[in-house]
Amino acid sequence: MNSRREFLKAAAIGTGSFGMNPIASELTSAYADATTNATSIPHRFIFVRKSNGIRPNELALPSFSEKEKASDRRKEVLEVDLENHDLPSWLSVLNPHKGNLGILQGLSCKMSENGHYSYSSVMGAFKSGRNSLSGIKRATIDFELARLNPSPFGHVELSLTGNYSNFRTGIVPGYSAPAAHQRNYCYADPETAYNELFKSILDPKSIDSENQMLNFLEQEESFKASQLAGYERLKLSNHVASLDSIKQRNLDVASFADLIREHLPNLDPVHADGGVNASTPEKQKAMTEILIAALATGLTNVVTYTIDELSTPIRGLPGNESDRISIHELGHNGGYSGVSAEDIREKIRIGHLEQIEHIANRLKKIPEGEGSMFDHTMIFYFPENGETHHSHGTEAPFVVLAGDACPVNIAGRYLRLPYHGTEGHQTLGNWYTTLLNAHGNPIDHYGDLDLEMSRKKLAQTGSIPQLLS
Amino acid sequence: MIELNFIQQRTGVYRVTILCLLPVCLCFWKGSANGQGTILSKSNEVDSGEELNSQIFNFFPRAKNSELVKRFCGDCHQNGSDEGGISLDSLMDIEFQKGVRILNQIEQQLYLGLMPPSDHAQPNEFEREQLTNWVRDNLDQFNASTLDGKLSQPEYGNYLDHDKLFSGSYAELKGYTKDRRWLISEYIFNAKINRILNHRPFQTIDGKREFVIGENNRRVPITNPFLLSPSTGVRYYANATLNAGHLLTMMANAKEMASHMTYLVKRDRRYLPAVAEIMNQEWIDEKTLLTREEFLNQHIEKILLDLYGESHEELLPTFRPSPASEPQPDSDASVKKAAFHAANPGMAELILIFQTMQRLKEDAQSDEELLRNCERSWFNFGDEQRQIEARITFLRNYLPEFRQQIETHRYAQKYKQRPYQPRDAEEMQEITETIKRHRKAGDHFITIIESCLKDWRNQFEKIRSENDTLERQALATLVTELFQKIYERNPTADETQSYVSLTEGYFSSMPKLDAIHQLIQTLILRSEFVYRGEFGSGEADPFGRKRMSPREASFAISYALTDSSPDQELKDAAENGRLHSRDDYRREIERMLNRRDQYYVIDEAVQGLQHTASITNLPIRKLRFFREFFGYPNLLSIFKDNKIFVCHYDNSNGRLVGEADRWVEHILKADRDVFEQLLGSNHFYVYHSGDNLAMTEASDRIRRIYDYFNPLDWRSFEKEDLLKHKDFLAQVKMRGVDVNQLTPSGRRNPIREFKTAMESFSLRFDKGQTAAAPYVSFPAHGPYNASTRTGLQLRSPEVAKFFNIQLDDWDYPTNQPAAVKNRRGMLTHPAWLIAHSKNTETDPIARGKWIREKLLAGTVPDLPITVDAVLPEDHHRTLRERLDDKTSEAYCWKCHQKMNPLGLPFEIYDDFGRFRSEESLEHPENLISKGPEKAPVHVDLRDIYKTRPIHAAGHLEGTRDSNLDGPVADALDLVERISGSEIARQSIIRHAFRYFLGRNETLADSKTLIDADKAYIENGGSFDAVIISLLTSDSFIYRKAIQ
Repeated sequence: MNSRREFLKAAAIGTGSFGMNPIASELTSAYADATTNATSIPHRFIFVRKSNGIRPNELALPSFSEKEKASDRRKEVLEVDLENHDLPSWLSVLNPHKGNLGILQGLSCKMSENGHYSYSSVMGAFKSGRNSLSGIKRATIDFELARLNPSPFGHVELSLTGNYSNFRTGIVPGYSAPAAHQRNYCYADPETAYNELFKSILDPKSIDSENQMLNFLEQEESFKASQLAGYERLKLSNHVASLDSIKQRNLDVASFADLIREHLPNLDPVHADGGVNASTPEKQKAMTEILIAALATGLTNVVTYTIDELSTPIRGLPGNESDRISIHELGHNGGYSGVSAEDIREKIRIGHLEQIEHIANRLKKIPEGEGSMFDHTMIFYFPENGETHHSHGTEAPFVVLAGDACPVNIAGRYLRLPYHGTEGHQTLGNWYTTLLNAHGNPIDHYGDLDLEMSRKKLAQTGSIPQLLS
Repeated sequence: MIELNFIQQRTGVYRVTILCLLPVCLCFWKGSANGQGTILSKSNEVDSGEELNSQIFNFFPRAKNSELVKRFCGDCHQNGSDEGGISLDSLMDIEFQKGVRILNQIEQQLYLGLMPPSDHAQPNEFEREQLTNWVRDNLDQFNASTLDGKLSQPEYGNYLDHDKLFSGSYAELKGYTKDRRWLISEYIFNAKINRILNHRPFQTIDGKREFVIGENNRRVPITNPFLLSPSTGVRYYANATLNAGHLLTMMANAKEMASHMTYLVKRDRRYLPAVAEIMNQEWIDEKTLLTREEFLNQHIEKILLDLYGESHEELLPTFRPSPASEPQPDSDASVKKAAFHAANPGMAELILIFQTMQRLKEDAQSDEELLRNCERSWFNFGDEQRQIEARITFLRNYLPEFRQQIETHRYAQKYKQRPYQPRDAEEMQEITETIKRHRKAGDHFITIIESCLKDWRNQFEKIRSENDTLERQALATLVTELFQKIYERNPTADETQSYVSLTEGYFSSMPKLDAIHQLIQTLILRSEFVYRGEFGSGEADPFGRKRMSPREASFAISYALTDSSPDQELKDAAENGRLHSRDDYRREIERMLNRRDQYYVIDEAVQGLQHTASITNLPIRKLRFFREFFGYPNLLSIFKDNKIFVCHYDNSNGRLVGEADRWVEHILKADRDVFEQLLGSNHFYVYHSGDNLAMTEASDRIRRIYDYFNPLDWRSFEKEDLLKHKDFLAQVKMRGVDVNQLTPSGRRNPIREFKTAMESFSLRFDKGQTAAAPYVSFPAHGPYNASTRTGLQLRSPEVAKFFNIQLDDWDYPTNQPAAVKNRRGMLTHPAWLIAHSKNTETDPIARGKWIREKLLAGTVPDLPITVDAVLPEDHHRTLRERLDDKTSEAYCWKCHQKMNPLGLPFEIYDDFGRFRSEESLEHPENLISKGPEKAPVHVDLRDIYKTRPIHAAGHLEGTRDSNLDGPVADALDLVERISGSEIARQSIIRHAFRYFLGRNETLADSKTLIDADKAYIENGGSFDAVIISLLTSDSFIYRKAIQ
């Protein structure tokens, strides 16, 4: 145990931190290393999880030729250049970013939970035994990428979820996992996210009082340690080192004050006290602004954003402004105020994409290196549970926006991979392996294997060659 | 003995030469792990530098010239030989850190008997000691040995020679445990948090409401950072230390806990009276404000009318009707809308809407008028415009449904609005005068209320600040109460002084409640919260040992048997001088072992799957020992292909673990020949709640229904036919067959459910089966299935398939545990077999390793990193054939001979734990016929492939009993031999020692282990006797300071 940094490296991953923000100590220590050696621009990742599935045909391009249409419908391998095609109407909001857009079809996610919910499993490529802690098998992909791209907060998780009638508020259990058997915490409403992420300038007094407490504890535990020998001394020395590392991290975050001031978003008063009266689009917009600021300030390079789950109440949706819509009911084809479930589902998706477009647009306007912050950014919009409301996991479509400096060859492509259980098929595990390999983690395969592919003795490990070429 | 004591003084453990030399040579030096543990100098660091370099260099030249080294190492590492890239000739100018690393590896290889390799000349015991000590002396110069740390890990426990341990030659050594802080486990953490936060969940168990420990579904979001490794064996050891990850999480937890604790004081001041005292005036003021706010929220309109009379109307805001849109009708004039439950705005809103409607309803009023009045009322009050729109939209779409709900759910009785009752005169005067001060024309009611509240809040704060004094004594009381609540002890005088000063600082810099929160957080972040202290007290005995203080002993005993701090009896014993002697320990341990009035949740994850009742009233750590020792709960992380399972695997895995737990509990409750039963019994639970009477009744009911209708032509029945059997159906009750709906006007036709159930019953009786499993039909949910002991539906009869039981051909044993064919003991239970398999195939190596280490007290070296552990694909051969090919090379076989012959006999079970005689060669080339993709649950979905016969022969070696060692036919033969063996019994007792003591055994614990073994034998195979023996041993009672 040579130094604080080594101590932190050796430490297991934990959650909760600066004002209960979900940071892993490992990420923090990696950040400490990065700041001393940093010369390159970090890669950034935004995972936007949605519920209720994305039905593969919703992504089929309207300008497909008859042959392509048939091929796509039959789930045959297909690749077209998006530049030569129109996007489906609900995706057209991304037209300005078509050169960065990729549509990835044909991935399967049967090795994660399917049905209504996937909980942590969709981002970890494992079966989770529903939402049990012991079912979390490994760190989720976002945390793995955060390790490769350290930052003071390491990783930030946001969610807009609820109990069908009301939104959750405060800091609540999230879906990402920093390690096996660990659940991350996330900010469930814009006000909490705002106050916690930007606390160093919004409430510096609370940091001072926290440091006062840490100083006292450090002195007390140091004194106890000085009375001991051997391994027992090490135990208390570790306690002291842990206290010291948290103090140090507080200092690190405080040093971001100027950047935070520069990018601090305005939070509408409707979000006060958890935003009881805020509509769903308003909440989404506010979360988006916070997400952008968290990235722009450099507080984090990875954000996971559960933009909705089945129990998220939908309020204030254009055309159904005063309805209280249940996403679950939409999955069972229930309409509202005369508007069909299909129409409402599409409007919800459009709302999501408007947020994504806004993120891309804003990041493109923030200069970085010789280009913009977006250049090194990947945004993933994907269903948490596969292809539909009650998914089987045979398909898990991804909509991706990738900046020009991203090492994954997805931009501008509509790519349909071989169907589940056939030669050349790729799973969520292959997709995440691709992301890791492309960004510096040479792992052979991330995630569990697909049982049907195993039964059929089909190759299924490694990255997706089409995306690394 | 002199030699042993000499070694012990320096290392803290007795060094024993390991005779089982393993065939791994110096090439391991290069690749093996650095080891974990105490690479410490006095400053906790290993420094590098010129001075140190010159010292380490001294070792290697001397080593080169040593006769011993020349004799035993020279062949491979001198004179031009550099096995594993290590040559003593080239180590002359090695840098310090690398030198330390190599020396540590040399020490470990020597100590563990891995070097020299077994096919080379071996040093005798003395020579090996000499070599080891020589290396150790060099490392000790820098406090840099990592061996002790490594040997303290559970996976190295077996490196202490078993025969010596039980030989009796070391029984005169005095047992003790070193003084220690023991990091709390995930279970203790939860119990501690639950105790502090008054979280006392209940479950209905056997029809009675029982308090359970181990259910952690708390309202407060607390994260457990102290998770144990999922490995099998013993998971909770005293050598873990807190790290930054733990502390970061604890900081977040401390904040949550602090606010919840003060919330609990608000609910009941007895929780922490000192907090209530300090916050008294502030909370009185808050309560006054809250009461006024509630009063105004409910009655402001009446108050304003009384105050302003006719002018009230003029002062109201100008009404702006809601722009809520009308529903859009479809072409057939119908309106697409979701079901009521999916559109209602939540219970709180429903009640508010109902109460407004009640208040404003008038005779002969149209719905439209009522809605308008409601809307105006909400508008006047100042409700958010969107909220009003949502209510109006809801009422426009669902008014008839809502009225139905109001009637069905008796809103009128349940949600009565309080009638207006003025407050006392003084309070009313205050309220009305304040309103008059603040009301302006056009104000919504909520604006008036908020203005009044702000005014009152300012007044209260001003008064409090004028009278605010905080005595030091009040802070001392606060500190004392918090110590008692959090640590279950009083603070020392020094602690009181120190914490009162700290608290004064907090109070001077922040509001009172924040200061209290900060103090609570500080206490929770101290090391005492996360470590269990076990130190001796009083006079040391002639061997330098001290007994634990009674308080420490009470915690040590309690945490040995449960996850909770001491119960009241144990506390009383500690406080009243009745926890000092060995007999005192015995009395309390026996009492706790016999206690059956406390229920525990065995596993929350299992409980969450298939409604499994995962509960026990045994002291939880007794049952948990066997869960962890066998490791069968690990099956939950394995997942399987449904098509090969022939059912939904995920629908039955929780029940399988739950039933394995129940079976272990059953054996532990009998407490006779426990190890032999666990390893050798062929009686198991299969789809059974554990309540024989209830299962018999539930099964008999199905038999009755079948017997009654079977002679009739029930397949041709129509609804009217069922009516003829109404009396019988009313008695027996069938799922979906409501006798009240059998009338011609009944809304539901139950004939489909009736026939589904009868088809299912027929399948389960038409082959002459004696009894049917107590479920109605698939999916096996719904009423009239049998119940679990916690009153939930007994689901997942698919669990029978793991035991090769055909659901349509099963003579269901209502009394269980019952005999199951081709099974013998836990190692043949599907839960263990799956936990020790992979997702898609069996794992003979893992199974063999488990037996070698857990039942034969043996060791298996770590997998060398140079080994490619992947089994080659060959779809014409069985897994055994491929494994034999891969591991038969001499280099591999040296280790694999310890595992394969023990694991391969289990090839009579597939990776689902199903018995088999043929292995299916699953590959498209071997496909004979495809099974159906979907079919009823009793139909086999599997594709048929070519097969090859299972060859399950193996070899048992290592029992130290020539009658047992030798070739074995299969797993059943193997476990029969092992189950009653001395080595298995003693091996389990060694693991029990580690589990209850939290550390590896040393030779000084020899007597403790021999006594425990004797206690087991003399008490008819009682595991309780083992526990009592261990927990009353010197090893448990005595502590010795670290020098």
